[in-house]
Amino acid sequence: MSADPTQPGAATASPSAVTALDGQGERDAGLAELGFRRAQAEQLGGEAAVARHHEQGRLTIRERIAGLVDSGSFQEVGKLTGQGRYEGDMLVGVTPAPYVMGLASIGNRPVAIGGEDFTVRGGTSWSGDRKKGGQGGFVEDLAHQYRLPLVNLIDGAGGSVTSINRRGHSVFPGVHGFERSVQLMGEVPVVCAVLGTAAGGPAGRAILSHWSVMVKNTSQVFAAGPPVVERSLGQKVTKEELGGHAIAADVSGTIDNVANDEKHCFELIQRYLSYMPQNVWELPPVVQCDDRVDRCEDALARIVPESRRTPYDMKRLVRMVADRDSVFEIQPSFGKAVITFLARMNGKVVGIVANNPMIYGGAIDVRAARKQTHFVELCDCFHIPLIFFVDVPGFMVGKDAEAAATLREGMRSVYVGLQATVPIYTVVIRKCYGMAGMGTTDKNGLDLKIAWPSAEWGSLPIEGGVAAAFRKDIASAADPRAREREIEADLRSLASPYRTAEAFGVEEIIDPRETRPYLCRFIDAAQGRLQTTLGPKPKFGVRP
Amino acid sequence: MSKIEAKADVTGSVWKIVAAVGAPLEAGGVIMILESMKMEIPVLAEDGGTLLELTVAEGDAVSEGQVVAVLEG
Repeated sequence: MSADPTQPGAATASPSAVTALDGQGERDAGLAELGFRRAQAEQLGGEAAVARHHEQGRLTIRERIAGLVDSGSFQEVGKLTGQGRYEGDMLVGVTPAPYVMGLASIGNRPVAIGGEDFTVRGGTSWSGDRKKGGQGGFVEDLAHQYRLPLVNLIDGAGGSVTSINRRGHSVFPGVHGFERSVQLMGEVPVVCAVLGTAAGGPAGRAILSHWSVMVKNTSQVFAAGPPVVERSLGQKVTKEELGGHAIAADVSGTIDNVANDEKHCFELIQRYLSYMPQNVWELPPVVQCDDRVDRCEDALARIVPESRRTPYDMKRLVRMVADRDSVFEIQPSFGKAVITFLARMNGKVVGIVANNPMIYGGAIDVRAARKQTHFVELCDCFHIPLIFFVDVPGFMVGKDAEAAATLREGMRSVYVGLQATVPIYTVVIRKCYGMAGMGTTDKNGLDLKIAWPSAEWGSLPIEGGVAAAFRKDIASAADPRAREREIEADLRSLASPYRTAEAFGVEEIIDPRETRPYLCRFIDAAQGRLQTTLGPKPKFGVRP
Repeated sequence: MSKIEAKADVTGSVWKIVAAVGAPLEAGGVIMILESMKMEIPVLAEDGGTLLELTVAEGDAVSEGQVVAVLEG
């Protein structure tokens, strides 16, 4: 007869089994107790709580970890944590701590991974001798000490005012602080997935990441939820209206990407991590490239329309240049005037920033600027070379744009571009104007700017600048409108990119079809530079 | 069959209506062209469908996110 580890009392049950093994009774009882305690941990918040969780279309933390990591790779740490229930000396059950974490592998590379267990007290914080994770804790120490990517599967409500009863005092904000979480941002890739309703600390934790993702309809994120909003402002809103993906990802850009369901979310996390190095002391993995480096797509020669007023599909353009099926878009629904891709060129990871002429002609608005700033910093931090595909008329103009601080946010994107030390390649497809144009080049490095014959550039587009610069000349003409057009035509004839190439003001004009081989050649050659400039990047100064 | 709203990606004005009500549109087909930032920005039927209704006319001002057409697909 052996003890059934799932039955309460099993730890001390089965005296016949103990006495049968003469002299080994205590040891066997100890193993039986371990089995019982482990089984209790596997039961999470109990059958009813797990069923309720499933009914909402959500997986448990153990199912999430199993669904995300390489099969069988999860080595849990702290499985026995929780609140034991005893009858006299006899253990009758354990309510697990509402956080599950440990070591696992994704794509055959080790990661530190953890997440709240919503089925135990809604995943609210737990106070043991040592914190497991969430904000700081063992899982973040593991990522820091072993230089491993950290994956946070967030599904918790954070602190609760009820803790004041338990403690007998109110805790000062930051008693479980973000120090380690902040430190990790300069050391290892940090991925946060919001998999339920995250408010307060867990919501803040989600933002302290290099990349974040949420699930359509089953996750929301906000500083404070509907009850607090109603009490504070009298606004009645649902949690989906307040922090669903349509707000948190599409409008505010608080969260980067949106998954259709949890399974899709795990695929996105695996994909994102496949582009990342393990830490800032290593380069991202290079994969075998089965796409020819000298692949020259004829469609590239015709993708830019004859009319300067007609936009084109920049995503299609980028896909034709990068390794086949290698592009992964970051923040696809936010700040759409700029497109940001992780991709590969001849198997090496690159970051691509491309202007999108379909949105305001590619003018950089406050959202696009913020998106570009984050992406450039991400790539610089992890030693990923940047390619800019440029078609930018400048910063967004107008009253709304000024009120939104487009200039400040735009200059911040220029600032981080100039601070970046990874190789930057500039490919001017069409327009490259003004300060926004400046933000696409690497003036402190090789400053390699290549352009297509359709390229044009300057301090500002000619049609915008003539009226101001030649005001008197135009006003005094017999036909001012005709005179304005005449001046525009004169200036445009001087604006040919070939004239700039004569002056070596742009390093090369290429046939659009040659873009892929040209870039691959330089990115291959840059690997030595990248390998010899590894490590953390301290950033000095004050960003505007 | 479900109704799909086509929205303007940009603030600007309606320059030209291209598709007629009742017309079938392929995925990526052009419904209308807006003018914004001196560019002609198309509004596309992303997944295709039949154009049920146009909610704007040529010359109208539109703002970002505004529904400009309804499709069934």
